[in-house]
Amino acid sequence: MSRMARTRTSGRGPRGSSTLLAVPGGIWMLVFFIVPILVVVWYSFGQKPGLYGTHDNSVLSLDRYGEALSGAFLLTFANTLQIAVIGTLICVLIAVPFSYWLAVKVTPKWRYVVLALVLVPYWTNFLIRTLGWQILLAPEGPVTVLLRQLGLVDAAFSMLYTKGAVQLGVVYNYLPLMILPIFVAMERLTPALREASKDLGAGRWGTFRQVTLPLAAPGIVGGVVLVFIPLMGDYITAQVLGGAKGNMVGQMIAGQFQQGQNWALGSAMSVTLILITLLSVVLVGAVGIVCGAILRARRRLPIERTAAAATAARTGTEVPA
Amino acid sequence: MSTDASGGSTLELRGVTKRFGGSTVVDSLDLVLRPGEFVSLLGPSGCGKTTTLRMIAGFEQPDSGSILLDGAEIGGLPANKREVNTVFQSYALFPHLTVAGNVAYGLRQRRVAKAEIAERVAETLQLVRLDRFADRKPAQLSGGQQQRVALARALVNRPRVLLLDEPLAALDRQLREEVQIELRLIQTRLRTTFLFVTHDQGEALAMSDRVAIMNGGRIEQLDEPETVYERPATRFVAGFVGQQNFFDDVRTDAGVLVDADGVRFLPASAPPAGAAATVAIRPEAITLRPESAEIPVNACAGVVEAVNTLGDSRQYVIRAASGRTLVTRSARVTEPQRFSPGERVLASWSPDHVAVFPAASAA
Repeated sequence: MSRMARTRTSGRGPRGSSTLLAVPGGIWMLVFFIVPILVVVWYSFGQKPGLYGTHDNSVLSLDRYGEALSGAFLLTFANTLQIAVIGTLICVLIAVPFSYWLAVKVTPKWRYVVLALVLVPYWTNFLIRTLGWQILLAPEGPVTVLLRQLGLVDAAFSMLYTKGAVQLGVVYNYLPLMILPIFVAMERLTPALREASKDLGAGRWGTFRQVTLPLAAPGIVGGVVLVFIPLMGDYITAQVLGGAKGNMVGQMIAGQFQQGQNWALGSAMSVTLILITLLSVVLVGAVGIVCGAILRARRRLPIERTAAAATAARTGTEVPA
Repeated sequence: MSTDASGGSTLELRGVTKRFGGSTVVDSLDLVLRPGEFVSLLGPSGCGKTTTLRMIAGFEQPDSGSILLDGAEIGGLPANKREVNTVFQSYALFPHLTVAGNVAYGLRQRRVAKAEIAERVAETLQLVRLDRFADRKPAQLSGGQQQRVALARALVNRPRVLLLDEPLAALDRQLREEVQIELRLIQTRLRTTFLFVTHDQGEALAMSDRVAIMNGGRIEQLDEPETVYERPATRFVAGFVGQQNFFDDVRTDAGVLVDADGVRFLPASAPPAGAAATVAIRPEAITLRPESAEIPVNACAGVVEAVNTLGDSRQYVIRAASGRTLVTRSARVTEPQRFSPGERVLASWSPDHVAVFPAASAA
């Protein structure tokens, strides 16, 4: 009810003045986001002129896309997608139970202390955090030495510069971005909802599955988007922990712009990355929406159909032109 | 799993105690609800009424004592294993489910057959006159409609006892009175045992078969509404239910009770001898007359200080010579004479309306 009221008030004000509020942000987005992206798109149709030039758009073609989609890039891309999907899933699997524990079981007094502990590493510089893992995972680093002393690995073992190290690094780096929105969504749920569920005969797991999880879904979706998209473009983690075996697309693109001085190819790779990232988000979203709709339709009771039909008939007859 | 609720069940609390930290919130409470009875737990906030309800629902565990449903102990069971259902003060409707989905929730947990779910949800939504809204989300409904969804969601499970935790508190006055009548009609029809928690005495008196007045974790009186109003068992009950004029430090003097200011009372039954007592007179039991020279027993002289119209009645505030005030109320249609502020009057009452309580219970 309150939501409806709010929409009504916000719609009532004079349109011009409320649009004005969006102008500073709009200009910022235009100048620092839309324009650079358009420049990248424009460059992607060009070519690298000679050895010392970076880009040249005198002849337009889609050749750079052909170049980008052949060989090494595709392999690295598949690698990146795998790391991103697995990384996002691991983050969800860790963040959901953790957020539930934090929002429901931890007393309010300690809740924000624990949340701060989650966030403090995130406030540390991204590069420094990742370098920390480099030290930990190095062949003579504490983790490797411990594993070796426990007899779990042989002397040749080193986790650094492997895909596993990158996977570990991205989960570590992006986990707070998953926890925060899920925690917020779960904390907003009043305890009365869980009590009502138990009162109506659901156990702990039933309550979690049927009440807590569906109501936290927007938080989970938010967390997935916040983690998956930047993870696809991440290159610091791969650069520091991945070496040659843990290559990611972001690294490759950076390579084209910096060492390769081939801005056209780098741009084509960037555009491909953006498009495929968006496409996968849209695809997963669509599958989710369809599954949700099917589930809801299966649970629909006859009386809901009757009520919906009655409403439709009423509004239908009430709006004779 | 759920039994046929027609006729309702017996709920019995024996010596139930609950402490939070150092304070005893519910203090060895005894209460018996007869099958199909509508009982209200009435009391000020913090009296332990909601905690009592939550212990019956299974959200809190009593520290000692037992809770029996049709003679069987349910005290140790978790909330989801008890055949009682709750209507929450905040309604606690599931925002992601439709009205019908909310109502079907309990039946789905009990793995009731699909066809039966459809039938019972439809039937219950018709009972609360919400069948037209079955496909809406709770946020699309008004407060009164949400309240009825909460009621339907609990009733559809045919609970042996229905617990209601101030379910009408969020409604505005006019709607609340409508829902009171409707709720009582539904209860009469289903004969489910209702335990209704409220701090609103009007609500409790209007709806209940019996009212339990709670104070400090104990039940001070459990009686029919009329008895509670007319013959309050303690000073607390007398003051909490309806308005009262209290006269403290009353002592017996030659068979008549006299308060510190010299007002004399003669109750219908013999007053307790000796010890100090408190006398209570209801505002509507007081009649006003023009002042007379002599002040008889069961009367007090004073000046009209204020006159307030309360719609169907008129309320006078009388200030006695001693400085204390008396509140009186008379029906506007039947009052013999109207007084204005400043007039000197004699306030009197009949012996039947003199309620005497031992001073010790004043605490």
